[in-house]
Amino acid sequence: MRILWNRLSSALLVLCAASFITFTLARVIPSDPALAYIGPKATAADSAKLRITLGLDQPIPVQYFKYVWQTLHGNWGYSLSTKQPVLQEIINRLPATLELIFFAMSFAVIFGVAMGVYAAKYRGRLQDSVIRIVAIAGVSMPAFWLGLLLQMLFAGRLTWFPATGQFDIDLKYDNPISKVTGFPIFDSIITGNFAATVNGLHHMVLPALTLSAYSFGLLSRMARANLLEVMSQDYIKVARAYGLSERLVFFKLALRNALPPIITVTGLSTAYLITGTFFVEQVYNWPGIGSFAVNSLLSIDYPAIMGITLLAAVGYLVINFIVDLIHAKLDPRVWMR
Amino acid sequence: MSMKTAFSSPRVRLIAVVSTALLAVASLSIPTVAQGAGVFKVATSAAVTTWDPVQSFSTEAFYMTNIYEPLLWKNPDGITPEYSPALATSWTSSKDGKTWTFKLRAGATFHDGSPVNSAAVKASFDSSKKIGGAGFIWDPLKSVETPSDDTVVLTLSYAAPMDLIASSTYGAYIVNPKALAAVAADSKYYESGKDGGSGPYTISSYKAGSSVVLSAYGKHWATDKPDYSTIDISIVPDGITAQQMMTSGQVDWSTNIPLTSMATLKKNKKYSVITYKSPFNYVGYFNTLRAPLNNPVVRQALSMALNYRDITAIGGQGYGTQARGVVPAGIYPYDPAIPQYSMARAKAKTMLDRAGVKDLKIKITYASENSAEARFVPLIKDAFAAIGVTAEVQGILFNQQWAAAKKDPANAQDLFIVKYWPTYSDAGVDNLWSLFHSSTKPFFNLSYWKNAAYDKLVDDAIELSGSDKAAAQKLYSQAMMMLYTEAPGLYLYDEAQVSVVPKKFSIPKYNINYPFSAFFAGVKLS
Repeated sequence: MRILWNRLSSALLVLCAASFITFTLARVIPSDPALAYIGPKATAADSAKLRITLGLDQPIPVQYFKYVWQTLHGNWGYSLSTKQPVLQEIINRLPATLELIFFAMSFAVIFGVAMGVYAAKYRGRLQDSVIRIVAIAGVSMPAFWLGLLLQMLFAGRLTWFPATGQFDIDLKYDNPISKVTGFPIFDSIITGNFAATVNGLHHMVLPALTLSAYSFGLLSRMARANLLEVMSQDYIKVARAYGLSERLVFFKLALRNALPPIITVTGLSTAYLITGTFFVEQVYNWPGIGSFAVNSLLSIDYPAIMGITLLAAVGYLVINFIVDLIHAKLDPRVWMR
Repeated sequence: MSMKTAFSSPRVRLIAVVSTALLAVASLSIPTVAQGAGVFKVATSAAVTTWDPVQSFSTEAFYMTNIYEPLLWKNPDGITPEYSPALATSWTSSKDGKTWTFKLRAGATFHDGSPVNSAAVKASFDSSKKIGGAGFIWDPLKSVETPSDDTVVLTLSYAAPMDLIASSTYGAYIVNPKALAAVAADSKYYESGKDGGSGPYTISSYKAGSSVVLSAYGKHWATDKPDYSTIDISIVPDGITAQQMMTSGQVDWSTNIPLTSMATLKKNKKYSVITYKSPFNYVGYFNTLRAPLNNPVVRQALSMALNYRDITAIGGQGYGTQARGVVPAGIYPYDPAIPQYSMARAKAKTMLDRAGVKDLKIKITYASENSAEARFVPLIKDAFAAIGVTAEVQGILFNQQWAAAKKDPANAQDLFIVKYWPTYSDAGVDNLWSLFHSSTKPFFNLSYWKNAAYDKLVDDAIELSGSDKAAAQKLYSQAMMMLYTEAPGLYLYDEAQVSVVPKKFSIPKYNINYPFSAFFAGVKLS
C-alpha cells in the first residue's frame, strides 16, 4: 500500500511539474495568443480587448492557479485556433489516436517479438542479419520521413493504400458509421458495417506501419538479446540435459524469463507512441490528437498545448504504472525493491 | 529435438496465419464504397478562426463567400462591369460621393427563410462598424437609412468608394438579424458551425480543424443552381498531403498544393496549372529607428544588393514578378510607372562606404511557417554578404515575429520580412496606410518609419478616392515614389496565385479581390 501511495504521489508531482513548466514556457515566449484567436489582421484595439477577456493581462502565477483550478473542475479552456473547448477537442480526437496506437503496437509486438525470436534462433546467419538491418532501420528512421516514403510508394505510385485520412470521404455518405463507443473501427465491427471496417483497416495500414517502426525495431532487438542471454543460462542447459522438449524449454522457461524486460520496453514504447503520433498523424492527415498537437504548436494555441501535455503526461504515468503492475505480477521481487 | 520443431508448432503457425490474414484484409485495394453522388470533395489549408461573419478576418473567407453575400461582388481587374450584383441589384452615388443608394434584390432570403431587407443591411453594417474584425472599412460611414424594405441609403462623413467597400471580402456580409441578436446574447453562437447567411450554400456540418460540409441552399435567388449539392471540405494544413489526396483521387480538388510541385503537375495530363495575379506581396521592413538604417542611403544600398530575379525564381518558384513597391499589380492604386531597384552591388558598396558604414551586422526575421520566405531569405543574406554586410537570419512563427517587433522597436530586428495583402481591394487605404503611415504604437508599420509628407499624401488620397479616383491615384503615386526613394522597406515580389485544376472539372476562375475564396456554386463537370 505504501509503495502504491509513493507511486501515486510521485505521479502527482510529475503532473504538477509538467503543467507548470509548459504553462510558464507558453507564457514567456514572445507571442500574442490573442492574435491566434482573432487572426493576423486584427486591430491593436481588438487584440488588447481580447487579452483582457482571456485573462492574459493578469500575472503569470495568477493565471497558473486559475488554470489548475479550472482544469480540476473539467474546464480545460478554449482552443485559440478552433474556438472549441479543449477537453471536448481531446475527447473527440482521442479514439482515432488510440485506435492508431493499438494497431501500431499490436503490429510491433506481434512481429517485433516474433522477428526477435526468429533472429535469436538463426543467430549469426543471413536471417539474423536481415532482421537486424530492418530493426535498426525501424529505430533510426524518422517517422515523418518513413511516412512520406511509404505514402509516396504505396499510395502515390502503387496505389495499394489510401494516402491519407481515417476513411474514404464517400463512406460518410454511403456507409455512415453509427457511433456507439466513439472508436470508429470498433464501432463499425459491432454495428456490422463491414464496408466501413475494411475501409478503415485499409486506411490504417500505412499510418500504423509508420508509427510501429520504432517499437518494432526496439522490440525485435530486445527480444533477440534477451532470449540469447536466457538461453545461455545454466538452468536452460540443465533442463535440456534432463531431456525436456525443446518447445517446453523455449516457451515455458526461456521466453517467460525473457519477457519482463520486453514488457517494460513495450510499455515505454506505447508511451512513446503518444508523441510519435504527432508526426505520423500530420503526414497522414489523421484526425487525432497528434495532428491537433502539431497545429496547436504551430499556432501557439497554448490552452490546447497545455491540454495535450497534460494528457500525454497522464498517459505516460498510467502506462508506466500498468507496466509496473504487470512486471510485479511476473516477478514479485519488484515490490520488494 | 531441435528448436525448429518449436517454430513449427500449431500455436506459432496460427499466430502467423492470423497476422498474415489481418494484413491481407487490410491491404485489399478493392473499392469498398460507392462514390458519393453530388458531392464535390475538396482539400484546403483554410483554417476557420471564427464562423462569425462580422468578426471574420482570416482564412475562413474560403467558406464565408459561399455562405454569405455582400451587396456587390467585385470582378477581377480588367473585367467590365467592375461589379456584379449580389444582394443589391442597382446602386447610385451622389456627385460629391457622400451619399450612396442601394436597391436590394427582390426574393432573396436568409437560410432560415426570412427575407433579406434593408433592416438586415442596416443591422449588418452597424454591427460590422461597431465590433467587426474589419470594422475600420466602414470608417467613412456616418449613417444607414432604410426608406423602404428594398432601399438602403448610406450617408458618409467623407467621400469614399462605397461600391468597393460594400464588396469587401471582410466585414461587408449581410447577416440575418436573428443571428446578430443570437451572437450578441451568446458570443459562442456561431462556433459549432451555425450560420446566418443568404449565400448558395449553408453549413451542414463542421468538425473543428478537420472538415466542413456545405449543403446547397435550395431557395437561393440565383436561377443557375449549383451542380454539386454537397461540398465536402477536408482541412489539410500540409500541402504535400493535400497534393497526395488529389492525385490519389481521395478528393476532387486541392487548393494548397506547394509551388515546388507545380513542375511535376504540369506534366500530368489530368491537371491544368493556371496562373493568376494575386494580392499577395512580399516586403521587408528596415528598422528605421536604428543607425545606420535610419539613413535612406544605407537602405537604398541594401536594396541594390539584392538579386530580385533569383528571389522571385527561388521564393516564388518562378510564379511571381518583382514588386513595384507595396501595392501588388492588379490592385488599386498600382502604378506601373513606379521604378524598381535592380542589382548593382558595386554601386551599393560605394554608397555604404560614402555613408561611413563598415562591418554592418543586421538581424533578419521571417515567418518560419512560410515556405517561400524560408526559400528566399538565405538569398538576401548572401546578397548582403556580397557587399560586406553580415546578416543573422532568424525564422520564427509569424505570431512570435510580430509580437517581438511590436514589443520593443528600438531593440527589435533590423529587417522584418512579411507577406502582406489588402483587407479589400484598395491597397491605398490598406497597404500604403497600414505598412508605412506613422503611428504612435507600431502595429503593421514595423519599419517604424515616420514621414509627415508621406502621411499627408496618403490621407488626402484616401479622402479623394470616393469622389475623384484619378486625383487620388496621383497622390498615391507620389506617395509610392516617396517609398521608392526613401526605401523604408525592401520591395521583393508580387506572388502569383497558381491553381491546379483537374481537367475533369470546370472551376470558377480565381478572383484577386477574394484571395482566400473559392466559389463552389460555379463548379461543374467539364
